[in-house]
Amino acid sequence: MRAPSGPDVVAGEVLLAVENVSLAFGGVKAVSGVSFDIRKGEIRAIIGPNGAGKTSLLNIINGFYHPQRGRITFKGKARSAMRPYEAALGGIARTFQNVALFKGMTAIDNIMAGRTLKMRRGFFWQLIRIGPALAEEVEQRRRVEEIIDFLKIQHVRKIQVGKLPYGLQKRVELGRALAMEPDLLLLDEPMAGMNLEEKEDMCRFILDVNAHYGTTIALIEHDMGVVMDLSDRVLVLDHGIKIADGKPAEVQADRAVIDAYLGLTH
Amino acid sequence: MATEAADTFPKLLIRNAGLYAGRPAYRHKDLGIWQAWTWAQVLEEVRAFSLGLQELGLERGDKTAIIGSNRPRLYWAMCAAQALGAVPVPIYSDSVAEEMAYILDHAEVTIAVVEDQEQVDKLLSIRDRLPRLSLIVYDEPRGLRDYDHTRLKWIADVQKLGRDRLAADATALQRWEGAVAAGSGPDLAIMLYTSGTTGRPKGVMLTFDNLIISAINGNRFDSLGPDEQVVAYLPLAWVGDHVFSYAQPFTAGFCVNCPESPETVGEDRREIGTTYGFAPPRIYENLITLTMVRMEDAGRLKRNLFHYFIAVARRWGEKILNREKVPLHARLLYWLGERLVYGPLKNRLGVSRIRLAYTAGEAIGPEIFRFWRALGVNLKQLYGQTEASVYITAQPDGEIYADTVGKPNIDVDIKIADNGEVLFKSPGVFAGYYKDPQKTAETKTSDGWVHTGDAGFIDAKTGHLKIIDRAKDVGRLNDGSLLAPKYIENKLKFYPNIREAVVYGDKRDFVCAMLNIDLTAVGNWAERNNIVYGSYQELAGHPRVYDMLAQHVEEVNRSLAEEKAMAGAQIRRFLILHKELDADDGEVTRTQKVRRGFVAERYAPLITALYSGAREADISTEVTFEDGRKGMLSARAKIRDVAAAPVPAMEKAA
Amino acid sequence: MLGPVLETLIGGLMTGVLYALVALGFVLIFKASGVFNFAQGAMVLFAALSFARLSEFMPLVLAFALSVLIMIALAYAIEFLVLRRLVNQEGIILFMATLGIAYFLEGFGQSIWGSDIYKIGLGLPTNPIFILESVFPGGLLIDPVELIAASICAVMVLVLAVFFQVTRIGRALRAVADDHQAAQSVGIPLNRIWIIVWAASGLVALVAGMMWGAKLGVQFSLSLIALKALPVLILGGLTSIPGAIVGGLIIGAGEKLAEVLLAPILIRTFDLAGGGIENWFAYVLALIFLLVRPQGLFGERIIERV
Repeated sequence: MRAPSGPDVVAGEVLLAVENVSLAFGGVKAVSGVSFDIRKGEIRAIIGPNGAGKTSLLNIINGFYHPQRGRITFKGKARSAMRPYEAALGGIARTFQNVALFKGMTAIDNIMAGRTLKMRRGFFWQLIRIGPALAEEVEQRRRVEEIIDFLKIQHVRKIQVGKLPYGLQKRVELGRALAMEPDLLLLDEPMAGMNLEEKEDMCRFILDVNAHYGTTIALIEHDMGVVMDLSDRVLVLDHGIKIADGKPAEVQADRAVIDAYLGLTH
Repeated sequence: MATEAADTFPKLLIRNAGLYAGRPAYRHKDLGIWQAWTWAQVLEEVRAFSLGLQELGLERGDKTAIIGSNRPRLYWAMCAAQALGAVPVPIYSDSVAEEMAYILDHAEVTIAVVEDQEQVDKLLSIRDRLPRLSLIVYDEPRGLRDYDHTRLKWIADVQKLGRDRLAADATALQRWEGAVAAGSGPDLAIMLYTSGTTGRPKGVMLTFDNLIISAINGNRFDSLGPDEQVVAYLPLAWVGDHVFSYAQPFTAGFCVNCPESPETVGEDRREIGTTYGFAPPRIYENLITLTMVRMEDAGRLKRNLFHYFIAVARRWGEKILNREKVPLHARLLYWLGERLVYGPLKNRLGVSRIRLAYTAGEAIGPEIFRFWRALGVNLKQLYGQTEASVYITAQPDGEIYADTVGKPNIDVDIKIADNGEVLFKSPGVFAGYYKDPQKTAETKTSDGWVHTGDAGFIDAKTGHLKIIDRAKDVGRLNDGSLLAPKYIENKLKFYPNIREAVVYGDKRDFVCAMLNIDLTAVGNWAERNNIVYGSYQELAGHPRVYDMLAQHVEEVNRSLAEEKAMAGAQIRRFLILHKELDADDGEVTRTQKVRRGFVAERYAPLITALYSGAREADISTEVTFEDGRKGMLSARAKIRDVAAAPVPAMEKAA
Repeated sequence: MLGPVLETLIGGLMTGVLYALVALGFVLIFKASGVFNFAQGAMVLFAALSFARLSEFMPLVLAFALSVLIMIALAYAIEFLVLRRLVNQEGIILFMATLGIAYFLEGFGQSIWGSDIYKIGLGLPTNPIFILESVFPGGLLIDPVELIAASICAVMVLVLAVFFQVTRIGRALRAVADDHQAAQSVGIPLNRIWIIVWAASGLVALVAGMMWGAKLGVQFSLSLIALKALPVLILGGLTSIPGAIVGGLIIGAGEKLAEVLLAPILIRTFDLAGGGIENWFAYVLALIFLLVRPQGLFGERIIERV
């Protein structure tokens, strides 16, 4: 499935480097001393049993959590903490494990919200909607429509997302993240709760995003089959500690990984 | 070019580009916007496409597969191929690769024009088995960028080839027009593969004359002109779509609108304001169910308003539509209803501007049929076949009945064979099945009559054709009366209390029926009437349930008695089965069609009892429970006699 | 009979506009943050106090401008000291926080501005206006202060409605209200949005405070008019700007009409002492409404598929 990128991507330029990052809530260590990098253009999977600290890691990357220790370098700029707003401005978009959409708004408004940072005209111009402001509105709308077409959600365009079935909500959420035209896309369990067909669709969307827009993607996923098919490299966490990092096949054969997963099934 | 010379679709296109130059011919919703092409633009697009295909080796007599959903470029592909004398072969886009392989091979397809990556992948997977297939052309480039393009081309690139050729070679245009002029009416226009219920699909060959004369006759029958708007959403490979969205728009000059995606058809229809359309009964039914469900969620005022005015519409709407005499107060109420309920509802359903809507394919529930007509939608029934280029019969305006399929279309003759089978003869009669002279001869007699395979009769009152069953399922009682089991079963099933019915009588003295009650409907009735029951079996055996169903059966008998052809086959005895016919037990198919023969074997003791005159009979059957376990279910079924309704004296044979 | 009823109706409607303005302050903050801002009443009092005391030793315009700045500063302070620390907390926690802000503002305001009754002299004409003298004997009496107050409120409501419905900020605002995390993730600066809405509702509080102050004088009881906004909110829905307006008009007109029309009937029929109907009518109306249509007249009906 994954022919075009291959090894040269993995050897490419580092987009995001996480060095020795730790985060604790009260006494509980969510992430301890984790280091890894994400290279430009790759699909990076983060796996691990429940409570391994995967979502915490995403939250650190996009600024929801501020790690107590460690350093994060994004596009060559090091920092220990930043606000989610700044992360978005820097080109990091994400989706959430349990779908965080603006439930009262339509699908199109949700995706449009993803273009907040791309809007140039001040509110006065938007108010009167003429000239350059109108042109901008049209241009934004065109971009959004391309995403709608890409994700095949034309039929739900004007429906309040709260009323949509779960699989479609996940798609709209991906659309909102894509609307930001991110350099790094974080997907938190993009296929959770989906049936086989929806999973296949989602896999194809992820691969297409990566192939067409060259977007770097980091995703958390439980379905090992999906992870093996999609990703260039896999990071494995257990109890907040990195236990393996490498190509899918290497990771799959790793003793520590097998133990962590077998330990889970006991 | 003179009109009478326009006897092929490419010629019609050239005519339309002059006659309707600036009028829209195609629209397609893409990226949320309706893109439109005028007839003149379509001619340019088709010409470029056609010349491009020629550059890539398409020749007269070649076959071109068309696979995908309703998109302008796929329709243009048909015309582009026809311009060169090649024959388009549309294939159902939801077919699996195996089915496609058969047709592609059988039709000897050399070039396939497909919609997108999904179809390209399918064709690539079977390509090794199709040595003749030399090129795949696709419409939607997404995901295909990295594919090997040696035998794969994007439509836009093919058109560019054509345009470059036009620019480079001054005689190209003239020669292309010469190729178009070389085509004529009797040439093969298209091959439509029909998936028979048994055996391999057959390639129905239709000529330009077949399609164009039928389409022109259809246009005349329903006064269709260049102002119609249709939404093309049915499969390209189905003859209905080919006539409604290709032959008729080309002949009448109206606009074909292609939806954004299969899921948005309803919304797209609303935006366009279709004036003419076709849908199978299921769609009319679903739309109403959806409306009803939505109304149950609405506020009380809205709901009451809705129900009140729907009742008004049911009482008066059809009469008004049929231009009958209606009291003034009814007209006023209906007018108010139109403003408050029907108008907004029709707008929601996308039929605000509809002048004419057809349904065909299977029987439509009379309630559903009347509901639409009551709203003021001119819904009519049609009977057609691929082999007829659609039109056999249709209901003329003002002569609408829920249970007929209408009168023969213009230039169509029909007759009923002794075994009840309907035969027709028309300008639309197909040229033959591709590479199958034997099947052709079986279907088409030497003097041009075509066997439809359907049994029917001409209704004496209305002069309309009524289709009763598949011809092979029609039998006769021992006294020679015609028996159409499905026809009677459908009449029974129109009662909400009857969920399923199986009718017997072929080579017997009289007709018997085995019925299934509908647990929801009868259960509700039982509750209202304080009838206590512990199980389905108990309710099914309750004497008052028998009384109720006996009434239904008598009513069915009365309605059968009114029809000369069917009057001899009235139900004389019936019983209610102790269990529901179940697909898990093999009694009905997964699509809920009764397997009459299997049921007869399984319930043989009951059938024996029905014909022996016994009052009741014991039956025990093996049943499969939901968890897959099997068990025996025994019961004693009571049998009821029913009186036959007197046959009204017929003044004259029709 | 019709004349006096009409007069009452007009008076009621104009009071209603003032109710609407207070309710609007609630709606703005609720829409943007999902917080029911209990401190809205206290903000009205605080703003009115600031304006009243400032206007004692500076021109009205300057006093107004300064008061606006004070309310914006207040918004900054609330965001920085309270809201920022409570991101992603439950609605009830934020509600408790506004409760704290309410009591703090009432006390703090009186500590710096004093706790007497202060007058706001806006220099408005006080002679009553009579209209439609040809239709009704003696015409209909309209208080010019009320008329001007109502007009200013109407303009204010209009500007806010347009600002929040039409501009991109409106979309951002709804996004923030729906889901804080998601809004942040698409780059909506939560803190800035909060400052904007709190400043806007501070502005609304200032105008409301000035108008009520001009009518009744600036005093502690001003913070209680927030309670009158509650039935308005129930009627109009917590998230709807038009709802706040219509709700305010209905309550304003309803309670005045009840006083004039319903009270005499109640007194006659049940031999009651009478009076005071104005004080409870709005709540009974709201209660009935709550039973029939809990989401309010214009509130969004939340349907979610699980």
